[in-house]
Amino acid sequence: MFKLNLKIALRNLWKYKGYTFINIAGLSIGLAACLLIFIFLRYQLSFDKGYENNDRIYRVVSSWTYPGENEFYSKGVPRPLAAAVRNDFPQAEQVAAVQESGGIIKVAATTTRPEVKEASNVYYIEPQFFDIIKIKWLEGEPRKALSVPNTVTLSKKTADKYFGKWQDAVGKNIRFSNRLDLKVTGVFEDFPDNSSFPFNVVISYLTYKDESLNSWQSVSSSSECYVLLKKGADASALKAPVLKLIDKYYEKGSVGKEHHYFQPLSDIHYNEKFSNFNNKVMPEGQIIGLIVIGSFLLLTACINFINLATAQAVSRSKEVGIRKVMGSRRKQLVWQFLSETALITVIALLIASVLTELALPGMRNLFSGDISFSLFGHPVIFVFMTLLVLVVSFLAGFYPAMIVSGFSPALAIKNKISAANAGAIGLRRALVVIQFAITSVLIVGTLVVINQMSYMRAKSLGFDTNAIALVDVPSDSLSQLKFNTLKEKILHINGVKAVSFSNAAPSSNNNNTSSFKYNSTKDENFQLSVKSTDRDYINTFSLKLIAGRTLSKTDTLKETIVNETLLKKLNISNPNEILGKFIETQGRKMPVVGVVKDFNNFSLHDKIEPTALFSYKGVYNLMAVKMEPGQLLQAMKAIESDWNGTFPDYVYNSSFMDDQISSFYETERVMSVLFKVFAGVVIFISFIGLFGLISFIATQRTKEIAIRKVLGASTAELIRMLNSSFLWMVLIANLIAWPVSYIFVSKWLQGFEYRAPLSVWPFMIAMLLSIVITLITVSLRSYKAASTNPIDALKYE
Amino acid sequence: MIELKNIEKYYANKGVKSYILRHVTTSIKQGEFVSIMGPSGAGKSTLLNILGMLEEPTYGQYEFMGEDVVSLNERKRIELYRNHIGFVFQAYHLIDEMTVAENIEAPLLYKKVPGSERKSRVADILDRFNMVAKSDLFPNQLSGGQQQLVGIARALVAQPSIILADEPTGNLQSTQALQIMDLFKKLNEEEGITIVQVTHSEVNAAYGSRILHLLDGVIKEDVVVQQTV
Repeated sequence: MFKLNLKIALRNLWKYKGYTFINIAGLSIGLAACLLIFIFLRYQLSFDKGYENNDRIYRVVSSWTYPGENEFYSKGVPRPLAAAVRNDFPQAEQVAAVQESGGIIKVAATTTRPEVKEASNVYYIEPQFFDIIKIKWLEGEPRKALSVPNTVTLSKKTADKYFGKWQDAVGKNIRFSNRLDLKVTGVFEDFPDNSSFPFNVVISYLTYKDESLNSWQSVSSSSECYVLLKKGADASALKAPVLKLIDKYYEKGSVGKEHHYFQPLSDIHYNEKFSNFNNKVMPEGQIIGLIVIGSFLLLTACINFINLATAQAVSRSKEVGIRKVMGSRRKQLVWQFLSETALITVIALLIASVLTELALPGMRNLFSGDISFSLFGHPVIFVFMTLLVLVVSFLAGFYPAMIVSGFSPALAIKNKISAANAGAIGLRRALVVIQFAITSVLIVGTLVVINQMSYMRAKSLGFDTNAIALVDVPSDSLSQLKFNTLKEKILHINGVKAVSFSNAAPSSNNNNTSSFKYNSTKDENFQLSVKSTDRDYINTFSLKLIAGRTLSKTDTLKETIVNETLLKKLNISNPNEILGKFIETQGRKMPVVGVVKDFNNFSLHDKIEPTALFSYKGVYNLMAVKMEPGQLLQAMKAIESDWNGTFPDYVYNSSFMDDQISSFYETERVMSVLFKVFAGVVIFISFIGLFGLISFIATQRTKEIAIRKVLGASTAELIRMLNSSFLWMVLIANLIAWPVSYIFVSKWLQGFEYRAPLSVWPFMIAMLLSIVITLITVSLRSYKAASTNPIDALKYE
Repeated sequence: MIELKNIEKYYANKGVKSYILRHVTTSIKQGEFVSIMGPSGAGKSTLLNILGMLEEPTYGQYEFMGEDVVSLNERKRIELYRNHIGFVFQAYHLIDEMTVAENIEAPLLYKKVPGSERKSRVADILDRFNMVAKSDLFPNQLSGGQQQLVGIARALVAQPSIILADEPTGNLQSTQALQIMDLFKKLNEEEGITIVQVTHSEVNAAYGSRILHLLDGVIKEDVVVQQTV
């Protein structure tokens, strides 16, 4: 029986090739999108899993509350905090400090391999860390390997890279930052790609030197602290001890109110507020968003299926009648039709798998994650696919199966089943309205995202971004001595217009804020964003001075330039008024010599902050070079060779200001690509769904159409008649979609401090687009219905 | 009014031609009431469909009101439907979603008759057929005979010059059938409307003025009916 049913199912699919094709096409695209989303989410949700004692591992993070301002968060903690927690928290079984840093690593050449010289991130880590996060050590053991200064341990792949074979690494030396010789004392298994710990070069924490090593006042986001709580210790009960710790160690009376939280390991990959060493964060909102989009896609695909299957049901009525007369029970028929649906779903899933495989490289590119469609590596994908087949078969197949199997055999055999018997048209209409509402929401979303992206590209940041190269420079005191000669050399290159040293570009993610005093002995109640720049910063980035002059030539904090926002915050209306007044910050009192027109110091997500510029050669790590756009390429080559001549021991690294700025909007870029793709998929699926519905209606109204034709209706009039009801549905769908998409996009736009005005156009375009799609689809099918010979419909048996 | 010359209709299947109509040549004049009779499969309905331009002959000449219609384009054909031809079907073929009045009004809409005139013509016809009380009912609320009356009313409302009826009484009881036939006869005699009907029934055929006997696609007999009724 099953074999027979399968044979009949296949024959039916073949007989109605057109239906089968659009059914499978729509379904497989929907399924492929679902698979992609699932694979991506599986990868994202696999982060930081599978360590021993997973649920007892916490990271200590910090926050500050300023009066009138929001809470400000950092994943970093004051450097002495780890020791304090170890000392004061009996609940903590293990505590470890981790300090991120970076520098040039050199491994001397041997007879068999060349010298290695590369810029690399390094991590100073206390050995206790490896009691918290347990990974496999191939050689050495952390307690010994990292317990004395000037030792380093390497991940397997890094050891392979530096020494050819990791087995050769232990006992050898590497040179770090051109000043430290570190002895390799251990090799550990690579941290997996889906981990928040990109540790490859791990130096013993005792090697770490910093002037703030004992300071509770200075916090860098590079200093993290990990804690393994004792079994049975309750993380929520730690509030009181944390308050005690703050009370014990922090200076009283600072403006920002410090606080610390214990953040569970399982939260680290998903919490935007704090980020992590890997800089890969998957906010929960995005995960939910993707799940919603995936369910929508699945839903629209199933809706299609229902519409198409019931439209086709009439042609199966005779078979149903005969089967019933032969003694088939309704249940058996339901099973037959359900298994047909399952067959189609399986075929669609196979095609979807191919599509997924094809789309995966693009996806990998988009998210720069190591995602793979490996059934054997991740059997959960296989489980998901099986579930998908079951759910889709049931969702899509059950209703049509109930309808078809419910036909009365007497009527069915006499071919008296008209489409009117094949289920409520109202339901189908409602389904198509839902589809179109989803489509419209996605179209509006896509248009708004694209609009905002081009707005940000076009919006002036208050400074020149064109043809400016940002070149990293080493910031050790020896290298600093060479800055001036390098500058001279580069200024002589053809096409170079200006050169400036600083610690950050005008728009940068790397902003330092600091408390300050203005004409008073008390700290102001807001923070000042400070940038260390030389005097050429203003003309290199074409910042506009609206009062005063640029900085004088100096290497230390002597005078300062402030921005308009600071004046506003201090309630100063005339920029000349502040000239000559004193600002005290970083322990220095400096006169204001100039006021600069506001420029965006973060991305356009954020407001312009009150900012001060002053010279401080000690922290310069960036050289900005303004060039003639036409001579960019030659100039860049010349800059690189001059740079390498000046700093032979370091590795040249440069980028363009424009690229830096677009990197601020990476999430938005990913978002807009996703929106475009999914909007395209949903439009395609709804197109097919609409085709299914109009086919159904055309079948249902064949007789009516024929009668009307015989009464003198022209094809054009009939097409218009069939179109009008659909246009109403599209209008209703849009009316539903407007408020929904308005809520979504205005919420999304709120993430930008500077946003393109939300006009009615995206909504109008979405409606026009759906109307056009409807007209095309409906006209295509209804033309066929309206131009068939009426006698075929009016003949009686 | 209608001139048929050498009309042939066949379906070619794997090189074998199966003929439906062969060498049908006849003419129907304005004001005639013609019945086409013959056994099942003789080609009656096909002939009527060709007359109504619902099917095209494979071969032959067909002139309708002096115009060659075999190669007529759709627009012109629709014009003829709107102005000259009314169809009556065995299965009535009313639009189920429309009331009686709306069904009757439909052809006028396509003929682009202005609203007020439409109303008065529909009212007239309802009155003539004694169906004013039923004007707001839907087809499935009527008996077969009543539905066929609506079908005829719909055919008449556009004031056609010819009515083509395919077994108009085939689904009806005999008393209702007689009523319909009386109506046809009256329309033919009083208003001069040409009527061509396909029928199995000798009784019905006797209402007409002429009978075409069809057998295996060929006109076997063409007799003028002696009016006895």
